[in-house]
Amino acid sequence: MILRTISNVFMALSAVMLALPILVVCGAALNSGRTMFFPPKEPTLARFKEFFFTETVWVTALGNSVIVAFCSAALAVLVAWPLAYGLWKQGGKAAQVLAGLGSMPFALPPIVFGVGLGFLWSFIGTLGTLWIGIVSHAALFMALPLVTISIGLQSIDRSHLDAAATMGATGPVVFRTVILPQTMPYTVSGFFFALVLSFNEFIVMFFVTASSYSTVTLQIFNSLRNGYTPTMAVAAITFIVISIAVFSAVARWGDLPRLMGAEPTKS
Amino acid sequence: MSAISDPEILANSALTGRSRLSQLSVSKLVIWALVLFLCVTPFALIIAVSFGEKIEGASWEWGFSLANYQRVFVGANWPEEVTFLYLQNLYYSLYYAVLAAILAVLSAFPFTYLMTGLSRRAQSAWLVFILSSLSLSEVFIVMGWDVLLSNRSGLPMVVKETGLTDWLKAVGWFDTLREWGLANPRNVKFKTSVFATVLTMSYLVWPYAVILLYPPLSRMDRSMVEAAQTMGAGPWTVMRTVILPAVRLPLFGATLLLFVFLLGVYVTVSVFAEPAKQTMAVSVYSAVRGATLNAPFGAAQAVILLITAGVFLVLGQWMSRRAAT
Repeated sequence: MILRTISNVFMALSAVMLALPILVVCGAALNSGRTMFFPPKEPTLARFKEFFFTETVWVTALGNSVIVAFCSAALAVLVAWPLAYGLWKQGGKAAQVLAGLGSMPFALPPIVFGVGLGFLWSFIGTLGTLWIGIVSHAALFMALPLVTISIGLQSIDRSHLDAAATMGATGPVVFRTVILPQTMPYTVSGFFFALVLSFNEFIVMFFVTASSYSTVTLQIFNSLRNGYTPTMAVAAITFIVISIAVFSAVARWGDLPRLMGAEPTKS
Repeated sequence: MSAISDPEILANSALTGRSRLSQLSVSKLVIWALVLFLCVTPFALIIAVSFGEKIEGASWEWGFSLANYQRVFVGANWPEEVTFLYLQNLYYSLYYAVLAAILAVLSAFPFTYLMTGLSRRAQSAWLVFILSSLSLSEVFIVMGWDVLLSNRSGLPMVVKETGLTDWLKAVGWFDTLREWGLANPRNVKFKTSVFATVLTMSYLVWPYAVILLYPPLSRMDRSMVEAAQTMGAGPWTVMRTVILPAVRLPLFGATLLLFVFLLGVYVTVSVFAEPAKQTMAVSVYSAVRGATLNAPFGAAQAVILLITAGVFLVLGQWMSRRAAT
C-alpha cells in the first residue's frame, strides 16, 4: 500500500518535472511586454496574432518549417521503403549494411552531419536553397521510417503471403493487396515521426541554410543572444500542440506501444 | 516505390523475367548510390577537409597536413609550447555527457518500470506525452530552463522570496554553495554552472531514456516478479535479484546511446556552461560558422568527435551482440 503511494507520487513528480519548463514557456507567452516574465505581466493574446499573422519574419519562418517538414518526411519515407523492404525480403549482409549506412546520420552527433552537409552542398553550389534543406532533413531522419516500416513488415503474417501465392497472385499483386495495406499504419507513423522531428530540428538546418532563409527553430536559435521575447514562446506552444496532436493521432490509429517496442497485443 | 519485386515470383513469370531482373538491379543501384551520396559523403568530406589548410583572410584550400590535428592535441605552437585547450573541450564533452546520461537513466528506469505496469491505454497516453516532450526542439527546452534558472526570475527568486537564502546563510551552507559556484554574494545562482548544464542535458534525453528502456521492461516476464513476491521477497530484493539482472544490459546500452547523443549537444552548453568549460561541439561550431572561421580546423575537431561517438556506438553494438548469444 505504501509502495503503491510512493510509486504514484514518483510518477506524478516525473510528470511535473517533465512539464515544468514547458508550462513556464507557455505562461510566458501571455506577456504583453517585450520581455519574458513568469508569471506573466498583464496577460494578453496579442503575441499569438503577431506570430501567425502580422510579423512577416515569423510567418515566413513558419511557412518554411511546414514545407521542409512535410516534404522531407515524405522523401524520407520514399527512400526508407525500399531499404526496409530489401532488408525484410532478401535480408543478407548487403541489405544490413545499406540500412546501417542509412541510419548513420541519425545515430551520430547531428552537428558533425550538419558540418559535412554544409561542405557537400557548397561544393555542388546549392547551399542555401529550400529544397536542399528538404533533402538534408530527409537524409537525417530516414532512420525513423526505416525502423517503423521494418516493424510493420515483420508483423505481416507469412501465411497470408503463402495463401496469396497459392491462389496465383503475382509479386506486384501481393504487394498491393497484402503487404501495402498491412504496413500502411507503420508507414504513416514513420512519416509523422520524421515530420515532427524535422519541425523541431535546427542545427543541421543551420549549416545547410547558410543564413539565406530560416525556419522557426532557426529563427529562435539566431535570436538566442538577443534575449527571449514572448512571441518565441508562442512558437514553442504551437510546436508542442502540433507534437501532441500528431502523436495522439498515431496512438489513436496505430499501435503506439507496439511501435515503441512492446509485445503485440494478445487479442 | 514498388520497384524491387519478389525474386522467387520473378523466376516463375518467365515471360517478363528478364526485363524485371534488369529493373531490379538498376533500382538497387540507384538506392545504393542515393544512400552513399546522402549519408556517407558528408562524413567523408569532413575527413578530407580536416587535412586542408586555412588561407589568411580568405577561406581554405585542400591539402594534406596534420597541422589541424596537432593543434587539437598539443596546440598550434608545439613543440615550443604545449596547450591542451581543445582536449579540455573534449574532456568537458565527455564529462557533461556521462553525468547527464547516467542521471537520466537512473531516474527514467523506475519511471519506465512503473509505466509498463499500467494498462495499455494509460501507457499510450504516457507515450504521447513523452514523445511530445522528446521531439520538442532543444531551443525551446533551453528557453524554458533559462527562464526557470535565470537570476531575475524563476528558482533563484523563489529561493529568496521564501526565505531559503537567509536560512542557508544562517546555517552556513551558503558558503559551500558559493564554493561550488552556485551562489553569488546575495543569492543562489544557477547560470552559468555545471549543475544547470547537466540538469538541462539530462532533461533533454530523459524521454529518450524512457523510450529506450520501454521495450525491454515491457517485454519482461512479470510472472517472475509475482513469483518472487509470493515467495515473500520484499520490493528491494525483487528489484535486486529479478528485475535488475534481466535488464542490466539494456540499462547499460541506453546509457551509452544517450551519452553519444549528448556529445553533440550545442545550445544547452553554449547557454548554460561557463565560458571556460565549453565543449567540442561548441568549438566545432565557432570554427566552422562562428567567430574564428577556420573550416579545416573545425572539420578536424568534428572528426575527433565523430571517432569518439563511433567508438562508443561500436562498443555498444558489440556488447548487445554478445548479450544476444
